[in-house]
Order: sequence, then C-alpha cells, then structure tokens
Amino acid sequence: MLDVLRVVWFDLKHEIYPPVWIGLQWFTFSMQIFIYGALISQLVKIPQIPNYQEFYAVGFVVMMTFDVGSHAGREFVEAAHEGRLPYLLSLPISRSKLFLSIALKGGFELALMLAVPFAIILWLIGNLTVFSMVAAAATLFFLGFGVAGLMLGLSFIAFKSSDMYMAITTGLSAILIRFSTVLYPIVFLARASPGYDSVARLSPLTYGADLAHFLLGFDPSMLLDPMIGVAVLLALAVSTLGLGVFLLGRLVEGVRSG
Amino acid sequence: MTELVYILQLARNDFSYFFRTKWLMAVLLSLNLSDMLVVALVYAQVMTFNYFQFFVPAVIVMGVFVAALDTGRRIWLAIREGVIQYYLSLPISTQGIVVAYLLAGGLAAMVYSMSLLLIALVILPAAAVWNTLILLPFLFFLAMGLAGISATLAAAASTHGEYFFAYQQVVQILLLTLSTVYYPLDTLKSYFPTFLTSLVSANPLSLAAQAMRQYTFQGNPVEPFFLLNILLASLPFTIIGAVAYLAALRTIQTKGKM
Repeated sequence: MLDVLRVVWFDLKHEIYPPVWIGLQWFTFSMQIFIYGALISQLVKIPQIPNYQEFYAVGFVVMMTFDVGSHAGREFVEAAHEGRLPYLLSLPISRSKLFLSIALKGGFELALMLAVPFAIILWLIGNLTVFSMVAAAATLFFLGFGVAGLMLGLSFIAFKSSDMYMAITTGLSAILIRFSTVLYPIVFLARASPGYDSVARLSPLTYGADLAHFLLGFDPSMLLDPMIGVAVLLALAVSTLGLGVFLLGRLVEGVRSG
Repeated sequence: MTELVYILQLARNDFSYFFRTKWLMAVLLSLNLSDMLVVALVYAQVMTFNYFQFFVPAVIVMGVFVAALDTGRRIWLAIREGVIQYYLSLPISTQGIVVAYLLAGGLAAMVYSMSLLLIALVILPAAAVWNTLILLPFLFFLAMGLAGISATLAAAASTHGEYFFAYQQVVQILLLTLSTVYYPLDTLKSYFPTFLTSLVSANPLSLAAQAMRQYTFQGNPVEPFFLLNILLASLPFTIIGAVAYLAALRTIQTKGKM
C-alpha cells in the first residue's frame, strides 16, 4: 500500500505545490455561481424551481466533476505521449497497484477540486440530511470515475493520433455537457427541439445531474427516475474502469503515442 | 516594402496555424454551435423574453473573443518551443513580429466569427446584414485588442510555463461574466453597484455584443459614436499587448531566454 501511496503522491504533488489549478477551479466556481448564476436566475422562470441559482450551482459542480474526470483520462494519454507512462510501467509495482494508484490519484484530485464548491452548494441549499449529502458526494465520485474511464477507453485513438484524440474528447465534452440536464431539466430540452431530450438521455451527465439534483432536494417531477440514474452511473463506472484495467494490463505495454 | 511583405508572410503562417489545429477547431466549433443551437434555444423556453434572439448575436462576439485569445497560446508555444528564436533570426524587425502576430490574431478571429455569423443568419433572421460590413473593421480592431490581452498574458507567463492557461482562464471568466454577453444591462443594474455597471458597459465585449444585436439583427441605424466607443475600448488592450510582447521579444533577443 505504501508503494501505491508513493505513486499517488508523485503525481498529486504537482497539483498541490503550488495549488494554482485548485484555486482556479474555486475561483471559476465562485464567479459562475455568484455572478453568472445569480444574474441568470433573475431571468429564468420555472415554477418547480423557485431558485434557479441553486439548480445551476448543483449542475455546475456536476460539470466540474466531468471536467476533472475527463482531465484525469486525458492526463493518462499525455503521460504516454511525454514518456512518463513507460517510466511508471518500469516501476517495481504490479499493474493492478499502478492502476489503483491512478484511480486513487483521480479520486484525491476530485476531492481537492470539489471540496469547497460542494460545501458552498450545501450551504446555499441548506436544510439537508447527512444521507443526502453523502449520497450526492458518492454520485459525483461515481460520475468522475466513469468519465475518467470513458476518456481512458478512448485513449486507443491517441495511440494513432494524439491530435485526433484531443479533438474528439474536447469536442465530445462540450456536446455532452450542452445536451444534458446539467443546466436545465429534460422537459425544456424536449420543448426546445424534438429529439434533444433523446440525445440527452445518451449523456452520462444527464443521469449524474438528475441524481445529484434529486438527492439535494429538487422537485422529482422535473427529473429522471433516480433508480435509473444509480444503475447508469454504476454501470458506467464499473464498465469503463474495467476497460481501464484491460488497457493498462495489455494495450499500453511498449506503446508510443503519436 | 520588403518589411511589409515579411510581416504579411509571418501573419499568414500564424493565421493558417490557427485553422490547422484540429483539436482547437473541434473545441471552438462544438462550444459555440452548441451554445447557439442548444443553450440559447433551451433558455428561450424558460425565460420571459426571447433569449434566443438575445444570445445568438452574442455567441458571434464570443467567437471573436475565444479565437483572438488563442493568439496568446500560439505566442506561448513559440516561446516555449524555441520557434521564437527562429522568428528573431528572420530579416524582420521585432516590431514587425509583434504586428504580424496581432494581425494574424485579429484576422483569424474575424474569419472564425464570420463563419459563426453565417450559421446565425440561417437560424435567426437579420434585419440589416449589410450593417455587419460597417461593423467589420471595428470588430477587427476589437479582435486585435483581445489578441493584445492574450499576448500580454503569454509574455507574463513565459517564465512560469503552463500558468499561461490559468491567466487566460481568469481573464476569460472576468471579461465574459462581467459583460452583457449573457444578460441584459437592466438585469445587471439591479444586482451590481453603479461603478461595476459602468465597467460592464465599457467592456469591449458588451459593446460588440450590443452592436451586433442592434445593428445587424434588429436593423437599427449605425451610430458612429458607438463604433468609436468600440475603437476606444479596444485600443488600450492592443497597445498594452504590443508593448508587452515587444518587451518579451527584446528580452529574448538580449538574454537568449525570458
């Protein structure tokens, strides 16, 4: 376990000394919630959501989770591209321990980036039970792991062309966020254009956002069935992380990212 | 005359580099088009006024902004990878290199945003498309100003490597959230103190978004004083950017590094 923690610290210390990226995430969150969110909530009128700023704040934390998760996946490809991955593979630890350290590092990174924003949304919404807070945090972690695994799963493209990988993952990220219920309930996507809601149902963010909104006390009539959300997030995390284990165990040995 | 030819050749090189970066094109297009075709449409369903009509012209200005801001990334890359040493060895003055980069940044932003305008014209009827031709030189000047901001950030970050992206994100968030790109000025007035509202009104992005809405899409007659405002708001950024980049180039010229 000490080996695993040492590898985690090797990767994580760049994020902490100095904590520029963590501070940047907190700054972005504050600006988005207390300026953009506050102003846009004066314009949005949804009877079932009396305070849109709160809805937006939860959605923004889901977006941040997605961002951190996809960054973790992309970082893996960068590690292959810059020669750090062959170094990690040459360390005297087993592949399973190496994979565990990558996953743990992702988890710690997610916790560091989201701790303050998550505390702020709990304070904004207020009046929550311990169960709902813990369950919402767990939802975000599962979503983060699932997204990281998804980006990791797409990394085989990077071994052909890292430029193409970046184009696909970053383009896909923007579309997955917009075509999801992170910013607005699904019913309004359907009203905006027929078919938008069907596309939203394909985005893992829809299930993460609706489940987080449900757990934090938003009107369930505007959200998808939480049981489906739990099933989708579990399936996503397990399947994509399984794919990650497979990739690390078989495909990356001796591979070079172009 | 020869200097001018070299400046134009260097500008052409940088301009084509912008459009050849596949991942960047994927990010910009997916972000801006999904803002237009999804976010604007969905928010229009939940607001009491026609947000689609309000936001689509602003997305074109956002296109100018993000494309112009990429100039800094290209400058940062040139400094980091030593391409700048090659530029300095060319038979072109340092001032010429600065002008070439600002020209390329402005032009890339214009070409990119005009492609967004063409898409916007398909989905939103414009009352006076020809007014855009009057706006073009002023938007080009604005784009050069924004490229200047970006050049300043690249010059400031050159000793701290990847911090450039942190600086860029802070500037991007500040300029966008403190503008009338996303919300009308009346909404801001009810939330912000007077001095901040004045600052938002003077933000070149607010001015450009307002011009695009009023002159191109609503068909109001173009007011020369308003165009002069855009020019005056952009000018300081262009000058500061040019001076900062020039200072960075001179430092590299004498010390060999930043």
